[in-house]
Amino acid sequence: MISGKPPYLGFGLGLRPQHYREILDGSPAVDWFEIISENYMIEGGQPLYMLDRICERHPVVMHGVSLSIASTAPFDFDYLGALKKLAERVNPKWISDHLCWTGVHGVNLHDLLPIPYTQEALDHVVERVGQVQDFLGRRLTLENVSSYVTFGQSEMTEWEFVSEVAKRADCWLLFDVNNVYVSAFNHGFSTDEFLHGVPRDRVVQFHVAGHSHEESHIIDTHDHPVCPEVWDFYREAVTHFGPVSTMIERDDNIPALAELVDELEHARSIANEVFTGKRLAAAE
Amino acid sequence: MKSLRELQETFQRGILAGDDSILAEVNDSAKEQRQVLFGVYRHAYVARLAEILGDDYAQLHAYLGDQAFAKLIKDYIDANPSDQRSARWFGRHLPDFVRKSGTYAKHPELAEIADLEKALADAFDGPDAAPLTIEALAALAPEAWPQLTLKPHPTALRLTFRTNAAEIWQALKEETAPPKPIQLPEPQAIVVWRQDFMARFKPLTAEEAMMWNEAGKGVMFGVLCEMVATFAGEDEAELRAATYLKGWVDMEMLAGFLPG
Repeated sequence: MISGKPPYLGFGLGLRPQHYREILDGSPAVDWFEIISENYMIEGGQPLYMLDRICERHPVVMHGVSLSIASTAPFDFDYLGALKKLAERVNPKWISDHLCWTGVHGVNLHDLLPIPYTQEALDHVVERVGQVQDFLGRRLTLENVSSYVTFGQSEMTEWEFVSEVAKRADCWLLFDVNNVYVSAFNHGFSTDEFLHGVPRDRVVQFHVAGHSHEESHIIDTHDHPVCPEVWDFYREAVTHFGPVSTMIERDDNIPALAELVDELEHARSIANEVFTGKRLAAAE
Repeated sequence: MKSLRELQETFQRGILAGDDSILAEVNDSAKEQRQVLFGVYRHAYVARLAEILGDDYAQLHAYLGDQAFAKLIKDYIDANPSDQRSARWFGRHLPDFVRKSGTYAKHPELAEIADLEKALADAFDGPDAAPLTIEALAALAPEAWPQLTLKPHPTALRLTFRTNAAEIWQALKEETAPPKPIQLPEPQAIVVWRQDFMARFKPLTAEEAMMWNEAGKGVMFGVLCEMVATFAGEDEAELRAATYLKGWVDMEMLAGFLPG
């Protein structure tokens, strides 16, 4: 079991096909890349070729969307096998997926669906994380998702649930700053409570992303630049957790690489201000 | 209280079948009713898959227009819940769905346009293989040629079209007005494969298609030449066979081989 805490990598971007050439032809100010694992569970062609070249030059982490860790359906061992095979190729710094489920009865709804925060669900997820970690021979990193509904049967808060999973299953956490902001708005809890409610030493990655505001609720669309409120919360997260590998996630309306590198610069400047204790006058 | 398994089954039925039982299990928020909040999941499921199908079948979309394509993909999504770990493969049954559905089956070019788009997508990320090169063939001793066997590139797929779907697809891709759909007098052979990183297709003449099909079965080059001779005459049969072969090599339609 590879069990040491993943290294601090700095500031990264999600690898998107639109940017392959620019990444390989230039030297963008990006410290590392995150891939969507399922997009590279293919046989050959340009995506895998580009992935191999990028892995030669940059640290890469793998981020999945179909593990379905909280599903009550049996594990898809073909999927886990493909994940392990891809990890052998990529040699990722860590492997993450979401604290959610994606379907039952062989169906994949291709969405990150919410879990009731019950003791039953907690025991189930902890057992499944253990099985995946044994299969992969490494610790898993799990991300909190954005959600739009809460369940009447929930017995604890989301942050209590997330914390218990991390401690009992002995896994790492990907703290999605935007998802906490979205779910806090949708369900009326305080982002600070969530921030202070998860174990500091378990968090190994931040996601920062844009969303769509629908007045009564926010949808996690990853198709906009990061908004000022999420940047403010990112500053709080950096202040609380210290240096954590940070990544901008953009999945739709994907702009030119330079635009994302600028957004990443903004994250870097916030973190630098926090780490040096110097807040730039312009940011006041 | 529902078990986790029952809750997930109810939630999934709420998304796939529009069953509202799930609403008894979820809460209103301070600002919004539960129907609207659960509706985010219902909407996202269809919207995400529709976007994937629109990307995968872009020319079919252009050919049918927004309204008819939206109807087609809604019918397809309702009939085919995804069972794939990646939405990349969600649309793989669309050509057959179109071929077998009453309304669409009356327009056979639709299924063939879909066949072509699916084949191109599959070639794009299909298996890698070093292509057979002119240099490798040039190094072959003259006496080894009759025993030479050829191997199609692993992404190569042979299609047979009964309509002018390939011509329609090409026009749409170039954003020009597509020709009227017609039944071809003779079926048209097409090979789809990947050259460099690009998925491509090439219509074959009847003779070239015959030689391609036989080559794919492992028939030796000497025998292929004899087959070409019987197909369209002995005059310059070897030259014709060699010309087809050179075309395939130039376009990287063949994978490297081991002589002998």
